[in-house]
Amino acid sequence: MTGRDRHPSETLYTPESRIRYPRQLWADMKHDLLASRDLAWRLMVRDISARYRQSFLGVFWAFVPPIVAAIGLTLASNAEVLNVGETSIPYPAYVMFSMALWQTFVEALNGPVQAVIAAKPMLARINFPREAIILSQIGQVGFNFGIKLVLIVALFIIFRIPVSWPIIFAPIALIHLIALGTAFGLLLAPIGTLYEDVPRGLSLAVSAWLFITPVIFPPPQTGLFAVLVQWNPVTPLLVTVRDLATGGVMSQPLAFWIASGVAVGGLFLSWVVYRIAMPFVIERISA
Amino acid sequence: MTYLYQDQDAAWDADQSPDQDTVLTVQQVSKKFCRSLRRSLFYGVQDIATELIGGRTGQPDLRYQEFWALQQVSLKLKRGEALGLIGANGSGKTTLLRIISGLIKPDTGWVRVRGKIAPLIALGAGFSPVLTGRENIYANMSILGLSTQQITQRFEQVVEFAEIGEAIDAPVYSYSSGMAARLGFSCAIHTDPEILLIDEVLAVGDIKFLARCHRRLHQLRQNGTAFVLVSHNPQAILSMCQQSVYLQKGIVRMAGETEAVMAQYEEDLFLGGARKVSSVLHLPPRPACESLGLDIASICFRNPAGEVLPDLTSGEPVVLCVRLQAHQSLSQVNLRLSFMEMSKDGQTTLYLGGSNDKEVFQVAAGWHELQVEFPYLGLAPGAYLLRVDIRREALFILDIVESFSFTVQSNGRMSKSSFYQPRSWRLVPQPDRLDQERSASDILNYTHPNI
Repeated sequence: MTGRDRHPSETLYTPESRIRYPRQLWADMKHDLLASRDLAWRLMVRDISARYRQSFLGVFWAFVPPIVAAIGLTLASNAEVLNVGETSIPYPAYVMFSMALWQTFVEALNGPVQAVIAAKPMLARINFPREAIILSQIGQVGFNFGIKLVLIVALFIIFRIPVSWPIIFAPIALIHLIALGTAFGLLLAPIGTLYEDVPRGLSLAVSAWLFITPVIFPPPQTGLFAVLVQWNPVTPLLVTVRDLATGGVMSQPLAFWIASGVAVGGLFLSWVVYRIAMPFVIERISA
Repeated sequence: MTYLYQDQDAAWDADQSPDQDTVLTVQQVSKKFCRSLRRSLFYGVQDIATELIGGRTGQPDLRYQEFWALQQVSLKLKRGEALGLIGANGSGKTTLLRIISGLIKPDTGWVRVRGKIAPLIALGAGFSPVLTGRENIYANMSILGLSTQQITQRFEQVVEFAEIGEAIDAPVYSYSSGMAARLGFSCAIHTDPEILLIDEVLAVGDIKFLARCHRRLHQLRQNGTAFVLVSHNPQAILSMCQQSVYLQKGIVRMAGETEAVMAQYEEDLFLGGARKVSSVLHLPPRPACESLGLDIASICFRNPAGEVLPDLTSGEPVVLCVRLQAHQSLSQVNLRLSFMEMSKDGQTTLYLGGSNDKEVFQVAAGWHELQVEFPYLGLAPGAYLLRVDIRREALFILDIVESFSFTVQSNGRMSKSSFYQPRSWRLVPQPDRLDQERSASDILNYTHPNI
C-alpha cells in the first residue's frame, strides 16, 4: 500500500516526501494500480447496483438529458430563436450525440471529486489502494456511456447516418476524452475533499465550459469566440469522436493529438498529485 | 515485548539487524494536529504543497494553533503478542493506530510493519444499506484487501460466525444494528491479518457473540497474529495483554507490564496527580477570596484510641476525621462520603450522606473536627478512593476533596466476601424434646398445607 516497500510484505511509513524517491513512488503506483483492480470492480458493482436498486426509472435517467436538450434546441433552432450554423448530420442527432459525449466528459470530470467525498468514511478508516475509487469511477463512466450507446445506435438508425470504417477508432478518441475529464477531476479531488468551494465551483465551471465547446453548435470559424473554442482542450477530442463516428474524416488532427497528449500526461500528473496528497487530506477529514 | 528506546541511534542500530519476529516497530513517532478547522484545512493544503515539491524532511515545528497529538512514541510488537493501549480520551491512542495502519503520515519518526494489518476500527466500512449481506461481504472484505477468490473461500465461515443465517440475502438496512455490527466484525476478523488493531469494538453484540469473538481472537493469537488493543475497559486489556503502553496527552507516560501500567493509569485517573503524604491528607489553606466560608483542612482515619491509621482492616472499628475551618457561622452543614473501589472502574461502593442520616450540624466560626464513627468497617479488602464533600443544605457546596485514597486489609476472615458482616455466633440450649417435635410438625403443616 502506501509507504516505501522494502520487502514484499514490509512497509515503512516515514514523514519524508515520497516524491523524493520517484522510483519507489512509481513502483508503488504500479503495484497499487494492479492491486486495486479487484476492489475497483467490487466498488463499481456495488455502486451501480445500489444506484439502480434505488431508482424506479433506472436507465431512463441516462437517456433523458440528451433527449431533452435535443428537443429544446431543435425547437429553438426551427423557430429561428437560436441560429446555429450548418451541421454535418441532422441537428437533433447532432445535439443528442454531442450531448451524450459532453455528459460523459462531465461525468469523468465530476467523478473523482464526488467519489472521494462519498468514500470519506472508508478512506478515513481503512488503508486500501486509493486508486480503486478512481478506477471504479472510470468504470462507472464507461458503464453509463454503454447505456447511452443504445441511444446513439438508435439515433444512427433513425437518422440514417452514414457510417464508415474509421468509426472503429472513435473509442480511442472517446477514451482520450474521458482521460481528460478524469485528469482535471483527479487533480481537484484532494483539495475538493477539503474545501466545498471546489465541487461548487466545478459545477459552475462546467456550465460555462459547455458554451465554449461545440456541443450544441458546430465549431465556429472566426472571431474571438472561435479562438476560445479552439483553445478549449475538450473541443478537438469531442469533435474527433464525432468526426470518426459520423463522417470518418478528422477535421482537427493536430489539435486532437495535442489534446490527447494533454489528457494522458495530465492524467498521470494528477495521479501522482492525488497519491501524494491523499494522506494529508485524510488527516484533515477524519472525525 | 515492548521496548522503549531512549535515543534514536540505538533504534537505528536495532533496525539494522531486525528481529524476524518483530511485526511492528514504531519509532519516535510524533504527530501534530490543529485545533481550528479553518486553519487545519489551510495547513492541509500547505502540507500537500510542501510534499509535492519534496520539502518535507521530518523535522517540523509547531505552527500557530497546533499541538502535539503524539510525541516521541516508540513501541515494538512481536508475532503473537498483544499490546494494550491505555489512556484517557484524546490521549492519542486512535491517532497512533491510524499512523500504524498507514492512513496518515507521521510528522517525525517512522513505523515499520511486516505483513497485513486489519483494523477492527471501522466495522462494516463500505456497507451499502440497499445491498444484501452477501454483496456487502464481498465489497467489505475486498476493501480489507482480499481477492474475490479468497472471499469466496471464507464466505461460509463469515456468515456462520456472524450468525446471519437466512438474512444473508436481505438488504442490510433490514438488519438490526447488532446484526450489522456482527457482520462487520466477522468480515474483519476473517481476513487473516498478521496484525489486528482493535479499537473499542469489543462492545458490539450480545454476550454470546462477545464470547465467540474472544474465542476467535484467542485462536488468531495462537496462530501468531499480533494485537494492538485499545480500550477503556481495564478488564479487557488485563485479560488479553501482558504488555501495555499508557499514553497521556500524546506522550508515553508508562510502558511495561499491564498490571503496573494499569495501576499507574488508575492512580492518575482518580487522583489527578495529587499525592497523599503519610496517612493524613493535608489540604493547603485556601485564600480568603476563594473560600466559600468553610474549608476542609485535613482528612484521616483513626482508631477509637485516637491514633492515625495508615491503612484499615475490615471489621475493625474506625473513625473518619475531617478537620474543618469555618470562617463564619453556618447552619445545616452536612458531609457526604462516596467510597469507590479502584478495581471496579471507580464505581461507588458505599455512599454515606449526612442529610440522609439526618445528621446536619450548626457550625460556629473556628476549627472543628467532624467525626464519623464506624463501629465495624464493612468494606472488603482492596484499594479505595474516598470523595468527601461538605455542603450547606442540599445544594450549596462549601468544599470538595475529590480523592482520598486508602487501602483496606483483610482481617483474615474475609475470603469469598465482598463486604464485612458484623456477626456473633451462639449455641442456644432449648427447653425440651416435646416442644421441639411440636414445632417440627408445625413446620411440616406449613410447608405442605394441602396434606
